[in-house]
Amino acid sequence: MIKLIEKIEGEAKLNFNFKDGKIDFVDVEFMSTRNIENILKGKKAFDALVINPRVCGICGHAHLIATVQALESCYEDLQLSNKAKIMRELTLNFELIQNHFKWFYLTMLPFFGQKQQILKATYPSQLMGKAIAVFGGQYPHTSYAVVGGVVCEITQMDIIKIESYISQTLKFVEENLVKVDSKTLLASKDADELLSFYGDLPDILREIKKADMLSHAKSYDRFIAFGENSFFKKGKSLKRNVSHSISLKDVKESQMPSSFAKNVSYKGRYYEVGPLARAMINKKALIVDAHKKYGDSLYSRILARVYEITELLSYSQKLISNLDLAEPSYIEPQLDISKLNSSGYSAVEAARGTLIHKVEIEEGIIKNYEIITPTQWNLSGGTRENPGVSQKAMVGLSDTKTAELVFKSFDVCSVCTTH
Amino acid sequence: MRQKMRILWLSAISCNGNTHSFLNYPYMEQFLEDFEFIYHPVIDSKYLLQDIVSKEIACDILLIEGAISKEYKRADVSVVQIIEKYSKIVQKIVTVGTCATFGGIFRESGYENTSGMHFDQEKQIENFKHLLDKTISISGCPIHPEVLVNTLYSIKKSVTLKLDKYLRPKEFYAYTIHNGCTRNEYFEYKVDKHNFGELEGCMFYDHGCQAPFTHGSCNKILWNEVNSKTRAGVPCMGCTEPSFPRQNLFSTKKNMAIPEHLPVGVNKRVYLTLAGITKAFKIQRLEKKLFDD
Repeated sequence: MIKLIEKIEGEAKLNFNFKDGKIDFVDVEFMSTRNIENILKGKKAFDALVINPRVCGICGHAHLIATVQALESCYEDLQLSNKAKIMRELTLNFELIQNHFKWFYLTMLPFFGQKQQILKATYPSQLMGKAIAVFGGQYPHTSYAVVGGVVCEITQMDIIKIESYISQTLKFVEENLVKVDSKTLLASKDADELLSFYGDLPDILREIKKADMLSHAKSYDRFIAFGENSFFKKGKSLKRNVSHSISLKDVKESQMPSSFAKNVSYKGRYYEVGPLARAMINKKALIVDAHKKYGDSLYSRILARVYEITELLSYSQKLISNLDLAEPSYIEPQLDISKLNSSGYSAVEAARGTLIHKVEIEEGIIKNYEIITPTQWNLSGGTRENPGVSQKAMVGLSDTKTAELVFKSFDVCSVCTTH
Repeated sequence: MRQKMRILWLSAISCNGNTHSFLNYPYMEQFLEDFEFIYHPVIDSKYLLQDIVSKEIACDILLIEGAISKEYKRADVSVVQIIEKYSKIVQKIVTVGTCATFGGIFRESGYENTSGMHFDQEKQIENFKHLLDKTISISGCPIHPEVLVNTLYSIKKSVTLKLDKYLRPKEFYAYTIHNGCTRNEYFEYKVDKHNFGELEGCMFYDHGCQAPFTHGSCNKILWNEVNSKTRAGVPCMGCTEPSFPRQNLFSTKKNMAIPEHLPVGVNKRVYLTLAGITKAFKIQRLEKKLFDD
């Protein structure tokens, strides 16, 4: 049975195969592509800073940060101020947060007998957009991060504004999403405690429990994250065993026969990326507890993503206080890009997980560009014998509506997948 | 209660950036009381895309996001066919964003004859010519949410908007991005030193800023209600224009030290004369840091 899955920044076709009333395999097909990697070929390297945010309307900022870091890795002794690093990390955090809100209120809620809460999605997302715009001029599609730093200078007033947007967003979380003090939530180590709280998240978690779906949608219990910053460590987690020594060299991208999406694997195996992966790798007590109790399930996945909102908001408050306004925002590279023959790569944590960019430059011109997006990791369409992460999570379910929920719990992004 | 205006939001070859920019419209609650989407890429709607392409659903405004090629399909139907079907029944068509208007970035995505609805960059195309009178172009990569939404209200109120040659409402596109930029004085008085990472200076001279010859209201109606790219120090990339994206975007193309592209309507000789005069000002205030003691 083929079902067109809509409103995932495009569409995908899921072909459900049933055996004895249960799903035993789902073929995932993406029907179109936009060939961004080809568009980049032959262009001036810096133009990628303008083109790449346009890979995706909802996570374009992650593509900007991945682009600038990939380009910077092509230089040998490039200087970057701590201030610029912090600003980039902040704006990327803000983008992650707005994604999480939109996913929760627009994509997840309708699966639990509720209407989309459009205003609850847009209100906090707009605040995060404002926070990005204070630094970057606008959101979406700014190109404010350039090789050597960021183009803006910030003032005390900018910081005050951003602090207000963050506090206001935290207030929204405390009054709507999980109705407890953020500190209480951050200190919680018991995933079942969430079921006794009030708010839109606990409501959904209770629904999951009521529907007997607590352990639904398990996959391989393999997680990976390559992006690193002052908050996230890179690493992998296998059945709660965490290792931080992983190499991008072991990541392989391969063509799929029937779909425009490409498979991504690490040492030949599929891994889940995203907030749950980050929480496992960074050993966040609350999420590790959810995982102990319910595995890599729908419950853990939803909880991890919403929990990351509060974590990132609260961490961003700290990060801002580390900004030293006396530092330069931008340090001009010594070498002119037109003299650069090099290659480089980057990995950043986008809302949905690890995003990898690779670039080859010849005399400042892009010779080759490759992008591996988070959704590719989660939705790599494997075979019946070796299914991808989301495919495996759908196996054993008895109806396609629940399967669609599971599929969307990975927050599929069609445009990213088929960039 | 008056009936809501019904909108079909159709994405073609796009990044959905306009969809998400639209979600930044500050008065969404009121908007959703005045309009409803028969289909939208993110917001739930009464109909599925499959209904939209297989049936003819009553609709007042067709919004098109993304570059258009007959090869590009939604739910197995060519976007050109979908546009043809709905363009017959709607009152107005709005091309949302630079891809849908001129082709934009995804003009290069490799599909057959990819372009905007009426324009392939600045060239008017034959396809859909009969619909020119029905169309309003809202260019920009992405669109500014207020520009889009207020245009939709003008349709609702049956206001006749004055349009430019690319069918863009003059209310928004008669201005240049340069209008209202906080870095204006550095341009006016030809203080040409600019470094990234500073509040001071103008990106027109060296860093590719296209604001003086790009149409739009970015510095009049601020982004996210707080800022604009050029105020922040990001050069204007000319994203509302048919030429978007040009090449070598962070660098100003010059001939004999004179920028190749001058402000709209400014003649090169006059520009040079004016530059010579303004340089004579030597304004101390603009030579040093803004927040200096």
